[in-house]
Amino acid sequence: MLEIGDLSLRYGQHLALDQVNLRAAKGETVVILGANGAGKSSLLKSIAGMVKPVAGSSIALEGRVLTGRPAHEIVEMGVALVPEGRGIFGDLTVEENLLLGAYAKRARNGESSRRAFVYELFPKLAQRRAQYANTMSGGEQQMVAIGRALMSAPDFLMLDEPSLGLAPVVVTELFATLRRVRETGVGLIIVEQNVKVSLSIADRGYLMEAGRIVGEDTAEALLRDPAVQRAFLGMNTETSK
Amino acid sequence: MIVTAILAGLVLGGTYALIAMGLTLQYGIARIMNLAYGDMIITAAFLAFALYSGAGINPLIGLAIAAPAGFILGYAVYALMMHPLVARAKDRVSLETDSILATFGLLFVIQGVLFVIFGGNYTSYSYLNVPVTILGTNIAANRLLAFVLAVVIGGLLYLALTRTRWGTALRAVAVSPSSAALVGIDVDRQARFAFALGGALAACGGVVISMYQTFTAASGVVFTMKALIVVIMGGVGNVLGALSAGLILGLVETFVATYLDPGLTLAATYLIFLVILLWRPSGLFGRSAR
Repeated sequence: MLEIGDLSLRYGQHLALDQVNLRAAKGETVVILGANGAGKSSLLKSIAGMVKPVAGSSIALEGRVLTGRPAHEIVEMGVALVPEGRGIFGDLTVEENLLLGAYAKRARNGESSRRAFVYELFPKLAQRRAQYANTMSGGEQQMVAIGRALMSAPDFLMLDEPSLGLAPVVVTELFATLRRVRETGVGLIIVEQNVKVSLSIADRGYLMEAGRIVGEDTAEALLRDPAVQRAFLGMNTETSK
Repeated sequence: MIVTAILAGLVLGGTYALIAMGLTLQYGIARIMNLAYGDMIITAAFLAFALYSGAGINPLIGLAIAAPAGFILGYAVYALMMHPLVARAKDRVSLETDSILATFGLLFVIQGVLFVIFGGNYTSYSYLNVPVTILGTNIAANRLLAFVLAVVIGGLLYLALTRTRWGTALRAVAVSPSSAALVGIDVDRQARFAFALGGALAACGGVVISMYQTFTAASGVVFTMKALIVVIMGGVGNVLGALSAGLILGLVETFVATYLDPGLTLAATYLIFLVILLWRPSGLFGRSAR
């Protein structure tokens, strides 16, 4: 269980996160929805240790405190982030990216079977092991990013806008792959603009607005929710009757 | 004559490659532009000289003493001088500016200490100063040894950086510190380690230089500049680039000295530097960290 309690984050005067409460059970897939600037990325960055939340915030994984730990320790504790823009090592090869994905001590046991799994998930990466990551297409780079994160043997994998900048057919493939990742028992926390496809693989979802959580429900309920439909799916429920 | 020039160029180039590898680690990974780098080299050269002429200790043993000493010195300099700058730096540019100013000061501290201990005279010692015949031309055995040492140390480092997870993690910090943290790499620790490793390489370079060159307490700045030129030629953080660019610079300098005029050596060096800065600012080999 990943538990986040009263998480607040400040960038100078700006309150990016305001007392956010959120939880995700092991193996659960949770989607966080919200407009640009609602604080979704800040939330993931706080969990990953890339930014420091204000005092009083609490982030815990299976009861162990993550709050205030540096990013490299968070990985060691079992939470991996695929950041916005992917954050792969462009000047290194696919193989080197995956090698570094398993840098954490927790990842050393079973490294080769995990690598085999990643190459099975993304056969394209297997064909292009020796290729420099920055010479690949956007979809392939996203594969490298997800594969690298999986190599760290995470309990929870967080993805920040994985579909950003990808062609629709690639997005469909990507989420089909994430469904398979989910079946391995890894908890997924996904921040997405693409509401429909992300809710389709999710158990639950949260709605964010101006740094706060303003709603929480099961994925099916959110897909049917008129407010969600109006805000994110571009459907006007008043006139569609 | 051409074989002589090529051999001499390779010897010099091997030394340049060796010292540039250390600077490229410090600049590319620790992100510190160390202007006192050459003075760390000269300190090691004097150490080897003192051990050899004072206590009769073979420079190869001197190397085994100087390399760990250089590592410790680098580590200490990072912990005492650089870490406060790193901690307060807002971004890479401000760290670069601060580190240039700080190491510029360090340069004069080290140089001053060397002047007090060893004076300002040209220093050298005679070790393995016997001719060896290679491809029909004579070369001093100490130069040959200097080249072999540069190749072995540089080659081992290159293999460690490219063939192991440990080395790949160091290069990953050069490529992207923020992404490195996301795979569990302690970027601070790697930076400290890279800076210390750079110190060890500077020390190796210093001992190697002392085997076949004369040097003074004021020579440091020359080696800083040469190493910097090679680093920029090879691409910052690019170890293979530093190796190749070092050899190229050594060959060019020797050829200019042999066929044009020895007085034009420095001019040729800086001409290459200018041309690369203007046309290939990311280095001859482009990408970093390969």
